[in-house]
Amino acid sequence: MLGQGFSRIKILKITTFAALAIITARLFIIQILEHDEWVAKANEQHTLLETITARRGEIYMMDGGEPAPIVLNQTTYQIVIDPAITDKESLKKTLETYAKDYITADLDEVYNIEGLRYYIVAKNLPYKIATLVAEAELDGVWFKKGNQRVYTEGEMGSTLLGFVNADGIGQYGVEGSLNKILSGKDGLLKTISDVNNVALSIGNDNIKIPAEDGKDVVLSVDRGLEKGIEEITAGHIANTPATHAAVLVMNPNNGEVIAMTSLPNYNPANYGNVKDASAYINQVTEVPYEPASICKNFTFSAAINEGKMTSETTYFNNGYEIIDGWKIMNAEQRSSIYGTITMKTALYWSLNTGSIHALMLLGDSNNEITKVGRERLYDYYRNKFRLGRATGIELIEAEGYIEDPNEGYGRNSTYANMTFGQNLGITMIQTATAFSSVINGGYWRTPTIIKGTLENGKIIPLDTEKIEDHILSEETSASMRDMLINNRNYKVRGGIDKPGYAVGGKSGTAQVIVNGAYDNTMSNLVGSYIGFVGSAGELPQYVIMTKMWGEGAALSGGEAQDLFDTLSNYVINYLKVRPVL
Amino acid sequence: MALGLIVIYAIGPMRANVLNSTYGTNYDPNYFFFGQLRSVAISLVAFFLAFKVIPYKYIKKFSKPIVILAIGLSVALWVLAKTGSSLAKCELGECRWFNLGFMSFQPAELLKLALTIYLADFLARKKEAGEIGNIREFWLPLIIVAGLSLGLVVVAQGDLGTGVALMAIIFGTLLVAGVPTKQYLIMLAIVIVVAVLSVATSAHRMERIHAWIDTIQGAAVTDSTYHIENAILAIGTGGLAGVGIGNSVQATGYLPESINDSVFAIMGETFGFIGLFFIILVFSMLLFRMLKVADHTESDDRRILVVGVFSWTLAQFAVNIMAMTGLIPVTGITLPLLSYGGTSMVFLAYALGLVLQISCYTSREGIKHENTSSGGRLGRAYHSSRRRRP
Repeated sequence: MLGQGFSRIKILKITTFAALAIITARLFIIQILEHDEWVAKANEQHTLLETITARRGEIYMMDGGEPAPIVLNQTTYQIVIDPAITDKESLKKTLETYAKDYITADLDEVYNIEGLRYYIVAKNLPYKIATLVAEAELDGVWFKKGNQRVYTEGEMGSTLLGFVNADGIGQYGVEGSLNKILSGKDGLLKTISDVNNVALSIGNDNIKIPAEDGKDVVLSVDRGLEKGIEEITAGHIANTPATHAAVLVMNPNNGEVIAMTSLPNYNPANYGNVKDASAYINQVTEVPYEPASICKNFTFSAAINEGKMTSETTYFNNGYEIIDGWKIMNAEQRSSIYGTITMKTALYWSLNTGSIHALMLLGDSNNEITKVGRERLYDYYRNKFRLGRATGIELIEAEGYIEDPNEGYGRNSTYANMTFGQNLGITMIQTATAFSSVINGGYWRTPTIIKGTLENGKIIPLDTEKIEDHILSEETSASMRDMLINNRNYKVRGGIDKPGYAVGGKSGTAQVIVNGAYDNTMSNLVGSYIGFVGSAGELPQYVIMTKMWGEGAALSGGEAQDLFDTLSNYVINYLKVRPVL
Repeated sequence: MALGLIVIYAIGPMRANVLNSTYGTNYDPNYFFFGQLRSVAISLVAFFLAFKVIPYKYIKKFSKPIVILAIGLSVALWVLAKTGSSLAKCELGECRWFNLGFMSFQPAELLKLALTIYLADFLARKKEAGEIGNIREFWLPLIIVAGLSLGLVVVAQGDLGTGVALMAIIFGTLLVAGVPTKQYLIMLAIVIVVAVLSVATSAHRMERIHAWIDTIQGAAVTDSTYHIENAILAIGTGGLAGVGIGNSVQATGYLPESINDSVFAIMGETFGFIGLFFIILVFSMLLFRMLKVADHTESDDRRILVVGVFSWTLAQFAVNIMAMTGLIPVTGITLPLLSYGGTSMVFLAYALGLVLQISCYTSREGIKHENTSSGGRLGRAYHSSRRRRP
C-alpha cells in the first residue's frame, strides 16, 4: 500500500515538473524570443500621438495709425466619444438638446461600427454650448479644443481677407497667401497613454514638440477707409447697371495699399454658402483684363521719356487710323477736334489716334508703326512698367500677358491696340503700380499690403524683397501729372475737384471679347478709371483705381469715373489731405 | 505574499484611477494596497493559527461539520442570490460572494479547504477499513460530497476556476489514497466527459474557448480575445528584466482584472522573465517540499491532506499562468497568494499552515520511527516553508 502511495506521489512530481517546465518554456518564448514583437505591439497600443495645434495668427488693419483686429480666433470644442462606453440614447438626447447645429456624425452609423473606441461626433462648439454638454456628465465623452475664425467686420474685405477651411488651411485672400506665416507650425505630443488616452509619465521616449504659433499680421489697409469705400462702391453698383466693382487705393510713394475691395462681398465665416467659387476671387490682383485707355498714360510716358514727344507735340487727327488694313476709330468723333491737335488734347479726349501717333513717334517715324517702336513699347510695358508680370504684392496674383513685338501676325495692329489698352491682359494692381510710377517722379515700387507682423505690440516689417526702379525721368512724370490734371479741368469747373488739391485721372472703356472677337455692339463694356489726389503743387499722395462691370452690361469709363469722383473726395476728407491754396 | 503586496502597491493606484475614471467611482489611490495589506495580515494570523495553535487532530475531528458548513454556506449564498438579497454580492452576473459590509467573503474558498480536510479524513478512514473502491461505502458518499461541492461552485456560482481547483484536490487525494488504477481512470474519463459537455453547452464558456483558439491563431483582437491578448502583451513587454515597479502600462486599464486574476501578467511586465522565473522557482520549491512532506508522512490522513493542499496550490498556480500565457482558455482563477483577493489568500494560508504543522510533526515522527536521513531532508522542508513567510 505504502509503496503504491510513494510511486503515485512520483506521478505528482512528474506532473508538477512537466507543468512548470511547460510554463517556463512558454514564458521564455514570450518574454525572450518574442519580446521585440510584443514591445512593438505594446507601443502601437499605448502610444498616443497628438498634434498640438498651433494658434493661428490674427489679422489686423490699421486704424488711426494703430493696428486694429479684423480677424480673430475663437476657441471651439469637438466632442469625442467612446461608443463602447458612451450610452447612445442619452448622448443623442443631450446633443440634440444643446448642440443640434454642431453634430457632424450620424450616431446610428457610428454605433454600428464594431470595435470603434473613438469618434468625433460634433465640431466647432462654442465654450458655452460645450459646457452645457459637459454638464450632462456622460460617460466616455471628452472634449478637444479647436479653433474658429471670427471676422469682426463681417463681410467687409472678404475678397481681400479670404477664409480658413475646415482643415484649418487658409484659402484665398490674405488667409490663403499668408497661410504659412499665419498658421505657424503644429507641435507633436508622443506619449504613453492609459486605456482612456490619458498621457502617462511612464516611458522614456515621450516626445513633446511645442507648437510654433502663427504670427499676427498687420495689413496696411485702413479699416475705416476700407469700410467707407465699400459702402460708397456698393451704393454705386446699386445705381448703375453694374453688378460688380473693384476699387484699389494705394500710396504711390511707397507702394502701400490702403484700401482694396472687390464687390460683392461674401461672409467668410460662412464661406460654404457661396454658390459660385468666383465670389472668392480678388478682382484686383487675380484677374487680368484690358483697362483700355488708361494705358494711354503708359504709351505717352514712354514716348515722352524717350524724348520723342512732349505734351505740346502736334499731329493730324483724322478720327481714325488704318493699321494692317484695320480701321481703328476714335470713340470721340466731335468736329472741333479734327485737324492738327496737341498730344495733351488727344489725351484729354482719349483719342486712339493720339496714342497710335505716340507709338509711331516712339519708333522714330511720323506716319507708321515701326519695329523699333514696337520693341520700345514692349520694353516699357513689360520691363519698365512690369505689366503682365506679378508685382510681388503679398497676395495671390495672376500675371496676364503682353504680346511679343515681333512674333505673330498683325504686330502693328496689335501694338496699335496696345497703346490704348486692348490686346493685352493686366491686373488692376499691375495697372495701379505702373500708374504710380507715372505720377510719383518715375519710381516703380513693389506694391505691398502688409505693414508687418505684430510682436509684443510692435510692428516688425516682413523680410521680403522690395524693388524700387527709377524708370521715368522726373520731367516725364511732371509732364504726365500736368496732362492728367488737365484731363479733369471740367471737373474743377464743375466743382467736383476742390480748389487747393491736385486731382488727375484717366478713364478707360474696354470692349469685351465675346466668342474670340471684340464685341462691336458695345453692349458689354468694362469701365475703369485711374487717378490721383494730393495737395496742389505737391507729389500726389494717393492713387485710386476703380473698375465696374456686369454681365451684359455696358459700363463706360463714365460710371467708373463717377465712382472715382466720389471716392477721391472721400479719400481727401478721410485721410485729411491738406489743401494748398 | 510580500511580492504580491509590492505589485499591488505599485499598480493599485492605477487600478483605482481606471475604475474612478471609467465608472465614476471614488477609490482612494491606496485602497487596493491597504485591502491587500489587510488580507495579508489576516492570512498570517490564519497561517499561525493552523501552524501553531490548532493541532490537526482537532481539525480532523471536525472535518464533517466543516464540510457541511462550507456546503451550507454555498447553498445559503445560492438562495440569497436567487431571492435577490443584498447579502449576496454579484459581479458580471455571477454571485460568488457574501457581502458583509466591511468585507466580502467567498464561500467557495472555504469549500476548497473544507473539502481537503474532509477528503483527508474520509479517504484515510476508508483506506483503513479497506473500503477503497467499494461502490456503496466509498464511491457513493464521495460522489455525493464532491458532486454537491462542484455543482454549487460551477453551476450555482458559475466559477469554473474554483471547479478546476476542487477537481484537482479530489483527484490528487484519490491518487494517493490508493484508488485502483482502473477505477481512477474510469472516474477521470467520466469527469472529463462531463466537463467537456458542460463547456460545450455553455455559450459563455464556448466563447472563451473560441477566444483562446483565435488568440493562438493570431486572429484580430476582438472583445473576446482581448483579455488573453493583453495578458500575453504585458508578459512579452517585460522581456528579460521587466519594465520595473510602477512602470507597467498594461495595468493602467488595458488588461482586465489586472490586480486579481491577471496579476501574473502584470508581474511579467514589471519583473520580466527573471522575476517570473524566480516566482516559479519559489512555487516549485514549495510544491516539491509539500510532496516530500507527503512522501515522508506515515499517517494516511496527514499525507492525503498535504497532497490535497499541494493539488490545490498546483492547480491554481498552473491554471492561472497557463491561461495568462495562452496555453489554455481563460478560466478566471486567482494566482495563489499573489492575487488581490482576501478569501482565497486566507484559506490557502491556513492550508499551508496545516501542511507546515504536519511537516514538523512528521519530522519528529520520522526521527522516531524511520531512518535519520529523512530528518535532514524534512528539516530543509521545514526551513523552506519558513522562508516563505513574508
